[in-house]
Amino acid sequence: MDLAEAFRNYEDKIVSQWVDYTLSSYKSSTFFKKGPDKFSNPVGGNTREALSKLYKLLTKNGDPQEFIAPLDQIMRIRSIQEFSASEAVAPIHAVKHITREILAKDSERKQFIADLYDFEFAVDLAVLAAFDLYMQCREQLYKVRIKEIKTGTHILTDSKCPSNLLKSDKDDPVNFPI
Amino acid sequence: MALAKLEQLSKSVVQGPSLATGAQPAKDWMDTPAIFKEGNFAYPAKVEKVEYLNSQDGLNFPNAREWSPDEDDWKLPDGWEKTILDGIKERLDKFRSLKIFMDCCVRCGACADKCHFFLGTGDPKNMPVLRAELLRSVYRNDFTLAGKLLGKMAGGREMTIGVLKEWFMYSYQCTECRRCSVFCPYGIDTAEVTMMLRELLHLVGVGINWILEPASNSNRTGNHMGLQPHTFKDNVDFLAEDVETLTGVKINHSFNRKGAEVLFITPSADVFAEPGLYTAMGYLALFEQIGLDYTWSTYASEGGNFGLFTNNELMKKLNAKMYAEAKRLGVKYIIGGECGHMWRVVHQYMDTMNGPADFMEVPKSPITGTVFENARSSKMIHISEFTADLIKHGKIKLDPSRNAHVMPTYHDSCNPARAMGLMDEPRYILDHVVPKWVEMPENTIREQTFCCGSGTGLNTDEIMELRMRAGLPRANAVKHVIDKHDVNMLSCVCAIDRATLTSLMDYWNPGCGVCGLSELVGNALVMDNEKRAMGYGADGTESELPDGLRTMV
Ligand code: SF4
Ligand code: SF4
Repeated sequence: MDLAEAFRNYEDKIVSQWVDYTLSSYKSSTFFKKGPDKFSNPVGGNTREALSKLYKLLTKNGDPQEFIAPLDQIMRIRSIQEFSASEAVAPIHAVKHITREILAKDSERKQFIADLYDFEFAVDLAVLAAFDLYMQCREQLYKVRIKEIKTGTHILTDSKCPSNLLKSDKDDPVNFPI
Repeated sequence: MALAKLEQLSKSVVQGPSLATGAQPAKDWMDTPAIFKEGNFAYPAKVEKVEYLNSQDGLNFPNAREWSPDEDDWKLPDGWEKTILDGIKERLDKFRSLKIFMDCCVRCGACADKCHFFLGTGDPKNMPVLRAELLRSVYRNDFTLAGKLLGKMAGGREMTIGVLKEWFMYSYQCTECRRCSVFCPYGIDTAEVTMMLRELLHLVGVGINWILEPASNSNRTGNHMGLQPHTFKDNVDFLAEDVETLTGVKINHSFNRKGAEVLFITPSADVFAEPGLYTAMGYLALFEQIGLDYTWSTYASEGGNFGLFTNNELMKKLNAKMYAEAKRLGVKYIIGGECGHMWRVVHQYMDTMNGPADFMEVPKSPITGTVFENARSSKMIHISEFTADLIKHGKIKLDPSRNAHVMPTYHDSCNPARAMGLMDEPRYILDHVVPKWVEMPENTIREQTFCCGSGTGLNTDEIMELRMRAGLPRANAVKHVIDKHDVNMLSCVCAIDRATLTSLMDYWNPGCGVCGLSELVGNALVMDNEKRAMGYGADGTESELPDGLRTMV
């Protein structure tokens, strides 16, 4: 028996506690935890899918670059919800503690806790990557907002007088797309 | 030990949650106040817009003032509580549906997880049943015997400033999309409860600018943007010139022409904002090809009706313009463009508000002879109904290969789908204008379609985060077909969608475009005597209109 086997054995348990912990960060999380599929329950479904993928990568010494896809799946959601940056990222970190706790309770596998260094380092890398993704998503959000203003989608209201089109003063913003 | 750390992790990053699970404290919803901060509320209406609307005959928009939701003092008029309670009473008498919706909810919870705002936020007050409860609790307290006797024990509560603030927060986190009502065994339409909440809020001067400004513009110059007739005309002329440049066919359109057979009304965004412009070009090309005797109007230059998001009186007033113009011009009937909420107003409220439009005829396609019995009362048909009928009778020639650059999916815009049942015509059109298209998952389309997240006047940029949350269920389904089928275009039949889905895709699924269905029709349309322009496609090679009506030449 080795650590890899312990990771495999406890995969379902660890992932499900991890998902549970993550979804508990929402005010009303019962449905997110239970909701049947990813389309009727996008937060729950994507969180579950992303964390399951991430767990596999973290436990097999995978290339940290591969963390990005599942992390993006979850951080893209958490970045625009009512979380602070640390609240958004914290659940990624949680898997360390959940894993230790679960192993500690298993007298046969307790000894592997000492070998968790690589795994925990991988989690650290994932947490750092999650911060980067959080920032990227926030920047993208503001870019979307700026683009909307610039392309004139916002002229659904708040428009300037049409005679602005004739103005020669180029510094004065003209809010029309054409 | 590890668990202790996990507790600390929750403690240090989540303010005040339960230590064991990281969960938010489970307080009763009535005891959780609405907290406003930049990004979670739309800006209040400007003083001059409210004053202008209030000065109009038959409209009541009192208490114009500078205020902001994130300040404690909302500067409400003295006696505002009574105004609200009187307002509830008046509406209970006037709208039978409201009384029924207040009384008959059994709290079965079938609607609870069906709202995109709940699915994107996890906030229980965004469950439709609780959203309605915000009003129902006050109704119970003051208008039912049990509530009068038992108060909070019977689920009642007094009208307080805290309640009013909650109303404002959650009636503007509902896009009146009606998805919840599809699942309610009693047919309770929470969208109508939201409408009532917004009406009541306007009685004390609580409203948002993104709705009241377009509404006042529409009343003043005919369209949301406040554009004057010459500007509207110039823009349609520009688009007609563009169509000519691209197809080689001269467009003969007209404005305000008396005696035309058809009046055409579309959202003004189609004439002014990308990507709606291409949809408008599609209309122009189609009508030219079939030789439709129709006119645009610079007076009824807006299909949208932000009155719907405001109150009954303003909705009626803005809707009346379309019919007044149809009467003045003496047209036989109206064709409406790809708009969302215009169709809800026409289909569900127009008849009782301004109808019946007896001065017009039951719409009959001059090309196919089809009589649109479904529009017998409103005298207004949807461009997709009209186009699908043309295709069905083989009256237009379409070359789907001209749309080879797109791989679309179709978003059922909430109002056409759920408020008028327009679901098959757009799909029939797609079948004929593109080589291939795919559906999103079943529980996200047709009656169960997910809202763009920014409807009912919530498409303002200061609440972009909120819009992205609310749009998550829609975007999530689009992502699925992008990953699985290489979809690159989200087609729809709503002008607000065309604007809001563009931003939604830019955040969730960058690279996926958004288009109106009539744009795809215009792309595929084979016109008489056409001489199509050459342009460079994405792969750098030159060919005939590689990007359809979007081709730069
Ligand atoms: S109408 Fe739409 S937005 Fe409003 S509560 Fe129902 S599902 Fe939610
Ligand atoms: S589905 Fe209808 S009856 Fe059931 S809780 Fe929702 S509104 Fe009430």
